[in-house]
Amino acid sequence: MALLELENVSVGYGSIQAVRQLSLTVEEGEIVTLIGANGAGKSTTLRAVSRLLKVRQGAIRFDGRDITSLPPDRVVRLGIAQGPEGRQVLALQSVQDNLELGAYVRRDREGIREDLARMYRLFPRLDERRHQLAGTLSGGEQQMLAIARALMSRPRLLLLDEPSLGLAPLIVLEIFSIIRDLNAQGVTILLVEQNAKLAMQHSARTYLLEAGQMVFSGPSSELLEDERVLRAYLGG
Amino acid sequence: MGTAQLIQNLLNGISIGSVYAIFALGYTLVFSILGIINFAHGAIFTLGAYLTYALAVGQFGINGLLSGMSLERQLPFALALLVGSVLAGAIGVLVERFAFRPLRNRGADPLLALVSSLGVALVIVNAIQYLVGAEIYTFPAGVYGELPPALMFQVSGHPVVIRTVQAIIFAVCLLILAVVGYLVRFTKFGKALRAVAENPATASLLGISVDRFILVTFFMSGFLGGTAGALVGTSFGVAGPYFGVTYGLKGLAVIVLGGLGSIPGAVLGGVVIGLSEAFVPADYGAYKEAVAFAFLFIVLLFRPQGILGRKQLQKV
Ligand SMILES: Nc1ncnc2c1ncn2[C@@H]1O[C@H](COP(=O)(O)OP(=O)(O)OP(=O)(O)O)[C@@H](O)[C@H]1O
Ligand SMILES: [Mg+2]
Repeated sequence: MALLELENVSVGYGSIQAVRQLSLTVEEGEIVTLIGANGAGKSTTLRAVSRLLKVRQGAIRFDGRDITSLPPDRVVRLGIAQGPEGRQVLALQSVQDNLELGAYVRRDREGIREDLARMYRLFPRLDERRHQLAGTLSGGEQQMLAIARALMSRPRLLLLDEPSLGLAPLIVLEIFSIIRDLNAQGVTILLVEQNAKLAMQHSARTYLLEAGQMVFSGPSSELLEDERVLRAYLGG
Repeated sequence: MGTAQLIQNLLNGISIGSVYAIFALGYTLVFSILGIINFAHGAIFTLGAYLTYALAVGQFGINGLLSGMSLERQLPFALALLVGSVLAGAIGVLVERFAFRPLRNRGADPLLALVSSLGVALVIVNAIQYLVGAEIYTFPAGVYGELPPALMFQVSGHPVVIRTVQAIIFAVCLLILAVVGYLVRFTKFGKALRAVAENPATASLLGISVDRFILVTFFMSGFLGGTAGALVGTSFGVAGPYFGVTYGLKGLAVIVLGGLGSIPGAVLGGVVIGLSEAFVPADYGAYKEAVAFAFLFIVLLFRPQGILGRKQLQKV
């Protein structure tokens, strides 16, 4: 059974139908990439899984359980965390408060403390800036905070929306190596990326969205060789 | 003005100012979460006064549905104040549930929420009038138990008087401000509340139930409004179903003066307006109510965002 399963899901905003009849699965332990041009519906898909948007049609299942109409906080409690597009750190609270709020659904004080220390080891830049307001961090640091905060809930499934957006190439590589380490530690990851080539190199399977519809799904290696795709999405 | 008069005015101002502070804090909490002014807040102030009166005194007058009735058991004042405020908080929750949430869920214009809360205010005020009429209810002298009615001391030969009720008001408000301040600033609850205020979508991605926090906010706001009304009522009498209207407007002046959405701003604004009223000479007592607004006008000329308000922080 897949950890995450979308079945013919349609989502929209008002009269706009942003995602149509989308089906996808993410198996436990996988990294899966979701790519597509601007406006293809990638963020919309992640928002639907996190239940920020109403699903108009179809079903979303997590670990076999129907989550199609659960409120967003319940989904987090079940083990789905999202590092949203554009970071969305809580600008008016400190780095440490942001991280602690990432663990909002947890009750195990001891475990939270350990994870906090782990995040500071993983992202030493955040360690140095514990008490700084998150809004005053650099873009890259905010991105790290958004990822670390999502991890603080100890998710089984991590949704990341463009974690490399606006980052310097070296930091992008750093972030990807962290994503890989997390996955090795057992976190399943659904990754949305503009940086398609890099994302596909780091994932086994890729879905390609076009105007809200799935146009390809398969092994990333296959897509990486596809002339059409290379031209359209990788600027090759 | 002699030293004694100065001290007297300061004491009077700080006491009433502390009520303004907790009352205005009720507006501020809702404003920081929803970005709207709850116009039912003044009516909840009134309601809190009547509820506490009913629980502590329980004698109704000659008008309204409850005319001539009296409740068999009275609560000690402190307990009546607590229960009355909790009930006011519960009414606040109902206001959110039935006047605000349905509109919010339909994505209605915030202006509609404003109109809707005005409607609720009217319903509350009319219900009070229907039940207990429009007469003035005063708390009897012995309501605080065995305490003397006032404390008096001399400053350079002139008397300074602290009425017991003023001391009670100040102590209660200080306690409430300390508790709310601690909750919001230092606890997990407070951090989550501030997260909801800053960005509801992000808060819900962290597993925070936004709707539940909004309800809790309305409870706190109603509690604060109810306590404020009860305290003013016990000091000056509960002057009819419309007695919250002036305070409702004054509370608005307080939050705008202090800076919209700022908790320290609401407290500072309350104390500043309380003090400035206390220094209005007795001969000009009739203009007291205008002082808050005159003050507001002057401050806004120089600081449009209020004393402690910040200019909208850039969202990153
Ligand atoms: N809040 C909104 N209101 C109305 N339409 C929206 C909203 N958010 C997104 N859309 C529309 O839905 C479609 C899909 O948007 P989405 O954000 O999912 O794209 P995306 O694939 O994440 O693009 P990008 O790579 O630019 O982030 C777009 O046509 C967009 O204009
Ligand atoms: Mg996007």
